[in-house]
Formats: sequence, C-alpha cells, structure tokens
Amino acid sequence: MELCDHSGYELSFFLREKKISAQEIVESCLARVANVDGRPGSVDSGEMTLDDTQKVHSFISITAEMARDQAKKIDQKLANGENVGSLAGIPFTTKDIFCVKDTYSTAASRIIANFKAPYTATPVARMLEQDAIMIGKVNLDEFTFGSSNESSAFQPSTRNPWDTTRVPGGSSGGSAASVSAAEATLSLGTDTAGSIRQPAAFCGVVGVKPTYGRVSRYGLIAFASSLDCPGPLARNVTDAAMMLQAIAGADRHDSTAANVAVPDYVGFLDQGVKGLRIGLSPDYFQIVYMDAVSGEMIRHPVSDEIKATVYHAAEVLKEMGAEIIEDVPLPNMRYGIPAFFVISRVEAASNLHRFDGVKYGYRTPQTLSDLNEMYRKTRNEGFGLQPKLRILMGMYVSAAQYSEQYYNRALKVRAMIRHDFDQVFDQKGKYRLNAILTPTTPSTAFPMGDVYGDTVLMQYADQFTVPANHAGIPGISLPGGIAADGLPLGIQLLGSDFSEADLFRIGRAFEEGTQTEAWRSLKPQVLRAGV
Amino acid sequence: MTDYEAVIGLETHIQLNTITKIFCSCKADSWEQEPNTNICPVCTGMPGVLPVLNEVAVKKGVLLAHAMHSEIRNVSYFDRKNYFYPDLPKGYQISQYDMAFGDGGYLDLPMPQGYTRRISITKLHLEEDAGKTKNVGNRRMIDFNRCGVPLVEMVTGPDLRSADEAAQYLIRLRQLLRWLGVSEADMEKGHLRCDANVSIRPVGSDQLFTKTEIKNVNSIDNVRSAIEHEVERQIREVSSGNRIHAWTLDWDDDKKELKKMRSKETEADYRYFREPDLLPLHLSDEWLQETFTDFPELPLNRKKRFIEDYQLPDYDADLLTTERNLSDYFETAVKAYGGDPKKVSNYLMNEILRMLNEGGKTAEQLRLTPIFLAEILKMVDNGKINTSTGKNLLSKVEETGLAPTVIVENEGLGLVSDDSAIRAVVEKVIANSSKEVDAYRAGKETLIGWFTGQVMREMRGKADPKLAQEILKELLKR
Amino acid sequence: MKDEITIEVFNHLVSLAALELDETQAQYLRHELNQQLKAIHELEAVPLEQGLKINAHGVAFTPQTSPQLRTDDWIPFEDTTDILAQLPQSEDRYVVVPDIPHEKLD
Repeated sequence: MELCDHSGYELSFFLREKKISAQEIVESCLARVANVDGRPGSVDSGEMTLDDTQKVHSFISITAEMARDQAKKIDQKLANGENVGSLAGIPFTTKDIFCVKDTYSTAASRIIANFKAPYTATPVARMLEQDAIMIGKVNLDEFTFGSSNESSAFQPSTRNPWDTTRVPGGSSGGSAASVSAAEATLSLGTDTAGSIRQPAAFCGVVGVKPTYGRVSRYGLIAFASSLDCPGPLARNVTDAAMMLQAIAGADRHDSTAANVAVPDYVGFLDQGVKGLRIGLSPDYFQIVYMDAVSGEMIRHPVSDEIKATVYHAAEVLKEMGAEIIEDVPLPNMRYGIPAFFVISRVEAASNLHRFDGVKYGYRTPQTLSDLNEMYRKTRNEGFGLQPKLRILMGMYVSAAQYSEQYYNRALKVRAMIRHDFDQVFDQKGKYRLNAILTPTTPSTAFPMGDVYGDTVLMQYADQFTVPANHAGIPGISLPGGIAADGLPLGIQLLGSDFSEADLFRIGRAFEEGTQTEAWRSLKPQVLRAGV
Repeated sequence: MTDYEAVIGLETHIQLNTITKIFCSCKADSWEQEPNTNICPVCTGMPGVLPVLNEVAVKKGVLLAHAMHSEIRNVSYFDRKNYFYPDLPKGYQISQYDMAFGDGGYLDLPMPQGYTRRISITKLHLEEDAGKTKNVGNRRMIDFNRCGVPLVEMVTGPDLRSADEAAQYLIRLRQLLRWLGVSEADMEKGHLRCDANVSIRPVGSDQLFTKTEIKNVNSIDNVRSAIEHEVERQIREVSSGNRIHAWTLDWDDDKKELKKMRSKETEADYRYFREPDLLPLHLSDEWLQETFTDFPELPLNRKKRFIEDYQLPDYDADLLTTERNLSDYFETAVKAYGGDPKKVSNYLMNEILRMLNEGGKTAEQLRLTPIFLAEILKMVDNGKINTSTGKNLLSKVEETGLAPTVIVENEGLGLVSDDSAIRAVVEKVIANSSKEVDAYRAGKETLIGWFTGQVMREMRGKADPKLAQEILKELLKR
Repeated sequence: MKDEITIEVFNHLVSLAALELDETQAQYLRHELNQQLKAIHELEAVPLEQGLKINAHGVAFTPQTSPQLRTDDWIPFEDTTDILAQLPQSEDRYVVVPDIPHEKLD
C-alpha cells in the first residue's frame, strides 16, 4: 500500500502528526500517475498503441510543479506551527470543466484547448484555501456531453481502472478513474444528469451530487445551467463529506448558490441510521423507453445482480436500525430522459454561443471573407459531434413556434418529477422518507465503443440519476458490490433538499455494515500485483 | 388631397448611472477610457462565469418605472435573448422578456401649444448593454467596456403624432431621468438612446400602417429632424402611389439625411428562455415602500404647484423646474425670504442661472445658499443695502462663502440712514450748485433726481436714497 | 415514420447555429436528432397536472435561501491583461474580428 492509497482523513491525520510530509504525498501520487495513467489526453493524439489500451488516461494536464510548490508551502506552514486548512495535504484532481487560473481549462474540447483561464472556479478555490493539493486536471466527455468519456477531443480518453477495455462512465470519467486508481484522493466533478454518480458507480468510488445551489457553479463551464452541480468524488464517505464541507456554501459570484448554512457533515457521520426511513421504488428497478424503430414502450428490468445488490444494501441498513419502506411510487421518473433531452439542449445551445472565435480559444486559421464565415468555420472545426448535436437540438426545440410543444412541456414534466419526490419526502405525508435507495445505473460499465454513437441509448444510461437533477435534490452513489464480471456496482441514495448530512450518515453506516464483506478487499485491475 | 398624420413610437435605451455594471463589479462609466479596461471575466463572457444582479440598478429602474406610472411586479424574470454578434460576448443578452419588473405605464406630455398628450408605455425592463464596435479598414474593432452597463429599455405605444411631440417626449424624459437621479441622460454620450418607429395614416383613421425604424440618432434635435424628414418622405411616397417598406433607416448627422440600412430581417427568432443563472427577482412590498420613501415630487407636478402656490408665470415655473436642484433652491429661498416669490424667481432666472452656467455648477453646489440669497433680498427690502449692492453681493458670497451680513459689515456696504450725516452732504451739494438750486426753485422740480445723484456720488452709493431725497426736498424748499 | 427534421429544416438549424458541416457529419447528426425527437415525443403522452407550478431549478428558492442582490461596490478585476492575452486577434487593446458583412442595398 502506497501513501496515495490512504484515505484523505488518514493522510490529513498523518500530516498533522508529522509522520509524513505533503511533499511525500504529492510524489506518491505522481508516481502512481506515472505507473498507471499513460500519456495524457491531447487533441493531436495520433495512433493508439497497445500500451494506451492498458492505461487509465485520467489526465489532460498534470500540474506537478504547482502541486509541489503548494506541498512545500504546506510543509513550511506545519514546520512553523501555523494552522493549516481542513483538507491539508489531501491530493485532488479537477475535472477539466472548471477554470483554474493559469491552467489550461479545456472542457475536453478543441474549441478551448488553448484557453488559459484568467480566474479560478469557486469550488477549486475553496479546496485550495483548505490546503488540498491539486495534482492535475482530468478528462471528461467534451463539454460534459456524454456518459462514457469517449466523446472527449483529448484522446486517449479515460479507461476504467477495473477493466481498461471498459468505459469509466461519464462525464466525470477522469475524476472517477483518478480516484479509483488512487492517482489522487479526491476529485471535483460535475453532475448534470448523473455525471458524478454514474462514473463513480462504474469505477467503484463514492460520488456526490449535492442539492442544486449547495455548491457554487462559478467557474464551471456550463452545460445546462439549471441542472449542473459541482460535487465530490472520493473513495469513502468520510472523505466525500470532508470535501463537500469545504466547497459548499453561498458565493458572491453565484446568485443561485443558496443562502443555507453548511452543516458539520463530518460531525454527523457516525450517528447511525436508527429511525431513518429509507424507501425502495419499483420505478427504479426498470428502465422504460420508447423503441426508436417500433415506437413502442419497452420496459427493461435491471439485472437480478443489480436488484440483489440494492436489496442487500437495504437489508444491511435495516439491520442497523433503519426502516425500509417498499413500493414507493415515483411514476414520473421515466420521463426524466425525454425532459432532459429538451431542457438541457436549450440551455446548452445558448451556453455554447460564446464559443465563437472572438474572445478566446480556437479561431479557424483559414482565410476569411467575413465575420459569419469566421463563426461557421471556427465552430465547425472547434466543436466535436456531441456539442453540435446539442446545439442543433437546442435550436430546434426552443424555436418560437415549437417552444410551447417542447420546452414548456418539458418544464412541466420536470415539475411533476419534483412533485413525486416532494410527496415521498413530505414528513407529514404517507411515506415520510429520509432517503430513497436505488441502483445508480441500469448496468455495469460497458465496453468501450459499444454504445458510443447511439446518443439515445447512451442517454438512457442516466435514467436513474437524471431525476435528481430535474428535482434539484441531492444524491450519492456508493460502491455496493462487485458484479460477476468483476466490475463495480453502485447503489444510490436520494434525499430531500439540503439533506446531504443524512445521505452521508446512511452511506457511512452502509460502509460500516459491509466492511467485512469480501468485495471490499478487491482492487481495480490496474492496481493488482503483476499487472 | 388626403391629409395625413404621423404615428410615432419611441424605443429608448436608458443607461442607469450606477457605480458598477449590472451583473459584475466592474466600473460602469468608461467615458474617455482606454478600450477594454473596465472588464472582467463576467462581462467578457469567459467560460464558467455567472451574472450577479446589482441592487442599485434594480432600485433606479424601479424609481423610473414608478415615475412612469408603471405597475411594479413583485416577481419578475430575466431571460436570455440569443444572437451572434461580436459586441455581445456571451452570444446572448440578459434581458427581461415577458415578465419584466415594470408593467405598462404612461407619461402625460404637456405641449407648449397648451394641449397634453398621454403617451403609453408598452415595455419597461432591465437589461445589459453590449460593447462598442467600430470599423477600421476591413477589420472590426471591439471594446467591451460598455458590456454590462445597466440599461432600462422603455418603449412607448404609437401615440406620438408629430416630430415635435417626439422631441418634447425626449426633453421631458431627460428631465425626469435627471430629476430622479437615475441616469445622466446625455444623448451625445449615449446615456439616452432613441430609435423611432414612424408611419403615417390618413387623419381620422385608427389603423396602423407599415412603419420604418430610424436608428442612431444622437440628439433631440436630430430625432426631430429625422422624423420630420421621414414623415415628409412617407407622405410623398404614398401620395405618388408607392408603398412604404419596413426599412431600417440610419440618420446621417453630417448630411442631415436618412439612409437605408439593411431591409428588416424576417422574424428574427431570439429563442428567449428564462435565464437559469439568475433567480426570479422578488421585490417585496416592504422593499418597494422603502425604495419610494424619498420619492420626489415630479417636475410637472412641481411646476403646477409653483404656479398655484407662488403665483409664478408659466414661463418662470417651467424654467425653475427644469432641474430638481434649482427648483429646490428656489423653494428654500422663497420660504426663507417670506416676500414676493416673483422677486426670488427674477434673481434666479437672471443672476443665479448665469452664475450656474458660467461656473458649470448645479444649484446645490453653490456657496451662495438659498438662505444667503434670502438674506440679501431682505437687506435690500429693508433698505440696509441698495439693489446694486445686493447684486454685487451675490458673487462676493459665492467667492468667499461668507454670509452676506458679514460681508456688508466687513466692507461697510450698508446704507447710511443717519439723518445728520446725509444732511451734511446735502447742505454741501446745495451750497455748490447755486445754478441748479435756482432752477429748481423756479419750478424745475425734475432736477430732484440730479440732486439725489449728486448726494449718492458724494457718499459712494451708500446713502439711503429715500431719506436723501426727503432731506433734499426739505432743504431746497427754504 | 417520417423524419421530423427534414434536410431543409436541418440546414436552417445549421445556419442559425453558425455551423457548417460536412456530409458525413450532417447525416449522422440529422439521424440522431430525429431519434432523440422520437424519445422526446414521449412527453406528449404525459398527462399534465392542472396548475402545475414550474420552477426554474427544481429546488424552490425562498426569500430566505435566495442570496441578496449585489451591492453597488466597484471591485476592479485584478489583471485585465490575462483576459486580453486570450484574444485570438487584438490591436491596441481592441478585440479584432473580420468585418461584418453588409448587404448591398439598391
């Protein structure tokens, strides 16, 4: 076990006890990166080699010098007996959708591949203020548009540390993989339809989508502004709680960052689950979608393995004192994806307007006769297929003559999804739930290339995660077991607005209740001896 | 021949005079500054930035809306207006579309001819300004300093019936904006911008016909000329059987003529939708009440009151209420003085206005406060000083900041009303003017003025003229 | 089933979006758009409840949880040259772009 394999709270403790130095932590991470990561993603990647297929490729840029400088300063502070922050010495990666001053902030897109941000995103700034150490910026689907990481303009794209022929999930694939392979202890990701929770599930780590407005979006390059949530990825619940503690709270740069006090998440962790009411819903054990060819509704139950994992978790929690309530109806969850297809596209198309070759990033090198030509060529050459698809769909469904039919209708459906949750979390209602327990994803990590290209099927990978984004409520994905194919299985807990403390408590209890289970000792493929 | 009338609506953009921009903490005023100096990631549309609404911009907008008799919505929304243009860094403008903070409204516009026209307001909302661009050769140069300056867009119904009415509307609007202190309202500097929608129709019709839109007019006089030109052109066209096209016209200030810009684009679709980066704007009744606590009496109301309370002529009342400070000054002086308000008005319209113009000051910046002015007027009335001393005192007070009584004391400017002192001088004058004395006594009594002048000259103007004349008459009778 | 987004509609969208596409891309994107629209049409079957209150963010912000509006205090950005350094083309602190096409009239 290397230093980098330790949890964040252990590292922080060792550091304060002066058993280790921040510089040693950084070197341990960089050594791990050198061992497992392979070459970083690049827009001019050339041919893929065999070696490439066996590496993780979490990173777009490794900020080794910045990390070393920062570690040196922290060690100095400790040597001088000065106070250090709550995350002192804990290494983290940042999804490259966040602006960090003086680093390339690419969104994994050619169109801003050369963009050096003149400012730092609030959640990153808050981690740095608490003396967490940034190791680098990690890969994602281009502009976060995907669930596999394959759409990144920076290739090789990230691979799953548990099986490098599989996708890590997405869009925070680099975040999940980097934490899973212990290239860093924490990662800052974003979740618009499941982009933290789904890759966390695929890579066997903890992923938190906080309540909308819990964490400032300032500096997060927007996908769908009403759905985007920055949040932590970590290897255990305690680390995730420590991280959220640091990044949550109001921000003078974000008018949607709620004015709600941040509770002591870590302090609440070990309060157990006695008396908490946790629901199971049949609507989360099947995916329902319209068959593209026949137009018929298809109901596709999740695999027995996935179902068993969730029921096992319920059993564990029940034994620890929670009350399990079955058959909780959430009938509108199935509309989450079609509503998302509309709402997120309208916002994305508008958010992508600014990438026009005028102010930053890519501008076509071709000779130009006029401004319109500059716009068209720049955007054609700079954007990959996924942004183009979202722009075109957004344009279509928000056109004045269609917006009632599509956009306004989708907003109403979104309100119905929210209403379903309100009913079951209502503490005076029939169900009075503290949380809902579900699978995070309908499947384990799929093989690279299997789904990519079929944008409808790809989107349905988010069916269990996207309702929380529509409703704005918090969700957490926890490692729940290992499937027969050797890949991690994720379970998800959803709660009411700003109930992250409860979700952490339940998650922590689940960790305790399962700590002796055999799957807990399994390691990702890239970390097993002899590989 | 058919008689036509003009049908005009004005679209105004008003820059609010806040310290900072509407959605970021950059300085709003960049007059005569280098390009791209008052900028930040937010107003240049860097990836990842978010808008945060300036409360003072909302307050100033609300004051204006209130003055325009607009209903203030307790909940309003911001929307994105999407289009590509290089002066619009985000590729969308944050504006208010269907649920703006102001709903409806009107301005009652008094015309110098004596009638009043009610101008309806159809749109009143907050939005952000775009940058400035200029052409240099085949390149377009862009300055983002103006990006994000708060604007109120205010659109009138097609209620104006002549170029004069349009000009008068702008004059009254400019007066109101300055009165409320919400905008510098200088058209030359672009604080107040105006597009005019112009059409004509046969007198008596209530139909609306195809309109043209006149853009880029940067003074009230030019708005008047441009509309006059356009109305004449439309009448010419229609009279000779031609159709009016929905053109956009550009006013060429040098040539004083209208030029056609590109023909109006068919149904530009801005794909408005709610700005997800901002919460709905909640203006509670308490907040509104607080905002309106010091809401001033508006200029037209004040003018009316000046006529009624102080019996001022219309002309005086209008001039004294062009500007809020001046009207406050007037009223304070009148109250402190207690005498004839018209006298105060005369001083203001002559000496004080000249002083303001020459010094480039506003009334409240004068060291000659209204209280000091009232003191001077009282001293003249009491015969403590004469009128010309009074007028000289104005500039002395302004220069020194000293109270007029102090200056009169220090410089010995007070009139001599000591009977014996004047009597001595009168005796001297009579003794030295035997010819005039004879003539007077022979019946040429108009000479009394000449005698008084002599006495005043001897006493360097400080004699109380009434007293001097009484003594003269008495001694000349002997 | 007929494609909702025809080639004409598609080309119009492409021009509105300030894009230009090669044939392969255009074919793929139009196909995916039509597939997604089929999924979107599922929304039409949703029975909408009466009096449904839409809120823009899922989470209902109350006056207590909504941040205050910004005070009107000037905080200059620390270094505008960092912003200007990103410009693809600039001159004397101006942002420079190719000319804007004007339609020739008359």
